[in-house]
Amino acid sequence: MAISDLLGGFADAITPVNLLFALLGVLLGTAVGVLPGIGPAMTVALLLPATYVLEPTSALIMFAGIYYGGMYGGSTTSILLNTPGESASIMTALEGNKMAKAGRGSAALATAAIGSFVAGTIATLLLALVAPTLVEVAIGVTTADYFALAVLAFVAVASVLGSSPLRGLASLCLGLYLGLVGTDVLSGQERFTLGIPQLSDGIDVVVVAVALFAVGEALYVASRLRKGSVQVIDHKGSWMTREDLRRSWKPWLRGTAFGFPFGVMPAGGAEIPTFLSYATEKKLTKHPEEFGHGAIEGVAGPEAANNASAAGVLVPLLTLGIPTSATAAIILAAFQGYGIQPGPTLLTTEGPLVWALIASLFIGNAMLLVLNLPLVGLWVKLLKIPRPYLYAGILTFASLGSFAVNADPLDLVILLGLGLLGFAMRRFGWPVAPAVIGLILGPIAETNLRRALAISDGDLSVLVDSWFSRVVLILALLALVGPVVLRAVRGRRATPAELARDQEEDREVQKAANREGWGS
Amino acid sequence: MSVVVVGYVPHPRGRAALEHGVLEAHRRGASLVVVNSSRGDALVDEEFVRGDRLRALHDELAATGLTTEVRQPVRGRDAAEELADVCRETGAELLVIGLRKRSAVGKLLMGSAAQRILLDVDCPVLGVKSPPREA
Amino acid sequence: MNEAEESVAAETSATPVAQRPGRFSGELVGAVLLAALGVYLLVDAGAIAVPGSSNTVGPRFFPYAVGGLSVATGALLALRVLRGDRGPADDGEDVDPDAPTDWRAVAVIAVAFVAHALLINVVGWPLAVALMFAAVATTLQGRLTPAAAVRPFLVGLTVGCVVWIVFVKALNVALPGGVVLEFLTSWL
Repeated sequence: MAISDLLGGFADAITPVNLLFALLGVLLGTAVGVLPGIGPAMTVALLLPATYVLEPTSALIMFAGIYYGGMYGGSTTSILLNTPGESASIMTALEGNKMAKAGRGSAALATAAIGSFVAGTIATLLLALVAPTLVEVAIGVTTADYFALAVLAFVAVASVLGSSPLRGLASLCLGLYLGLVGTDVLSGQERFTLGIPQLSDGIDVVVVAVALFAVGEALYVASRLRKGSVQVIDHKGSWMTREDLRRSWKPWLRGTAFGFPFGVMPAGGAEIPTFLSYATEKKLTKHPEEFGHGAIEGVAGPEAANNASAAGVLVPLLTLGIPTSATAAIILAAFQGYGIQPGPTLLTTEGPLVWALIASLFIGNAMLLVLNLPLVGLWVKLLKIPRPYLYAGILTFASLGSFAVNADPLDLVILLGLGLLGFAMRRFGWPVAPAVIGLILGPIAETNLRRALAISDGDLSVLVDSWFSRVVLILALLALVGPVVLRAVRGRRATPAELARDQEEDREVQKAANREGWGS
Repeated sequence: MSVVVVGYVPHPRGRAALEHGVLEAHRRGASLVVVNSSRGDALVDEEFVRGDRLRALHDELAATGLTTEVRQPVRGRDAAEELADVCRETGAELLVIGLRKRSAVGKLLMGSAAQRILLDVDCPVLGVKSPPREA
Repeated sequence: MNEAEESVAAETSATPVAQRPGRFSGELVGAVLLAALGVYLLVDAGAIAVPGSSNTVGPRFFPYAVGGLSVATGALLALRVLRGDRGPADDGEDVDPDAPTDWRAVAVIAVAFVAHALLINVVGWPLAVALMFAAVATTLQGRLTPAAAVRPFLVGLTVGCVVWIVFVKALNVALPGGVVLEFLTSWL
């Protein structure tokens, strides 16, 4: 049944227009993955206004392409420039850059690209297989269960993304507050609008996402602009040899096995599976002496894990409507822009759309494999754009996206205000993603909570009525208390002085790495 | 001791400038200062020499038997300003630069670093074109 | 990977690291403001009208919950900051963690962006973009002379016009183009 649905999805995705949007998406995605300072979350946020003019299928196919493309682009810069744009690429940079320095850059790029393709394809296949089954389970989920899931997502996102759970919570609070502003859906009452008529519709998700991701980033980078450039290692040497392939295929598969489940879990993220994959490959390899000096297994495994987790993130998004990463949250906002509410019913109400999206992920993956290796030179050229133009350009697109929402200059002033908030959060080390997830998931959580309590006539015990919600809430409690308990057990290490010393050590390492890579 | 300054970029025109700079320094019994600057405003600057290429450049200069020095300022300024600065500071006798081949239209659009250098620098300037086969 | 200068504890630690003594952390302000936001939510939630005689959870409940969470988080975070805990400032490829904060750049961008917002309906989006682009790029170049602003302005004008044509003429986004550009492209 799923197979015929998937084939139907392919039929929809292979129309010339949708192929074009898939191509546009993967090209844009790779470009922003390569460019410093721009990530897939920011790009999808900047392109959210496209939902006003494009068909839902086309727009979502493009966004999915951006999401996957960003992963590929990140590995390119990690290998050739040793600048891992995100924590999930650190492991790739570790071995990949060493390989490039040893004249095996092409092999590193190839194993990363093919590994990403293999992992992406397998993980997307798993997504296609798991989604219908999960939906059948989820269809029996009550509003109370749904509220529990949202709480789990909040807690997991706040405590995992970012440096400290408290700062994640602070960011989450800001997002929840922004989500409260406007007219209450259930009662029609205005809340926290300060009497400003434009606020009665709420603060637009586009404006908040663009402000926190794009404007905040531009302001923050401007305040501490790096001077100097990094050395690009020539990607010379042969592409993969038979030996490389023999050493790569098992790490690809193992990496996929690590990445996918972590992606499916709320806030599992891509960081932990890449670390796990690296550690595993280091243990299993027949060439332990090469680790730290450019071992191909150390690129193949983590890169596969990274991509597989990206596909895993789509499972809770498409089956439950729960975003577990910033990009997923903004894709959810895109769904909402079309009046579609992701959730257990998505697959039945919007089946063709979802299957076309999944099919386009396969297509996008194949496109990335074909395009990425020959185009590496082009991507590196992109990095010659001077930073002043790059960040001025980001602000240009931020203005475009936010102004297009309502054609109201006031939106741009709000955009700047929230951008300054994003700037401050970056300075304080408050992660931005929980705020966006709180903004998008907060109203969903509130609605479900109140519906659940309305059905039970205000009896709070309804929230822990089912096994499902009990398990989920206990998981949420664990995610919240776990880090605190861990710290208590570890005891001594948590004193500020020791923390500072730890951090100082890390900083020295970082500095040494910088000295190696950065100009003056 | 008099000084000859060379503006160097890792292109044929930069190589040509370096060759002529070495010749001139020998002829004048002067020391050689090789300048390779970067504005440092992009993540990647392929005209900035480093790593293996920098080592190769140092080896090559050592083989000339001249007193040589390589300067690589990264201060967010144009090559013209950096060269003018070095020439002034070292009291250079001659500056050697490589010229790129460019059509009149290209020049109109992009401006010309060479023109800026001629205007900014006080000492005599020797402009060298890259050998035709490599251009 | 995320460690930066804010990570160094200022008051309580005796770590042998370079620190700026008595350095005030802006994060304290952030934490206090978050707690204040929570108080505002708690107080103002009481003013939300509850329609009818609903005996279940109404529109006030969630604001109370968020307000309470904000107050608690803000207060705890303020305590942590006072005890010397600093959040590691965000890292990035283009961010120099050791650089002093360039407040002038932040101010120029903020002012340029507000000016841009107010100019859109007057001179059209492309020209408003060009002016903002020029101001931002020139500031980030670190040289604020009229001559240094010419190229950023031309680049910004090109970007603005191309984007405007693509989005307005091809994608039908509503965006004022300004008299000149709208006249020139009226045949499209």
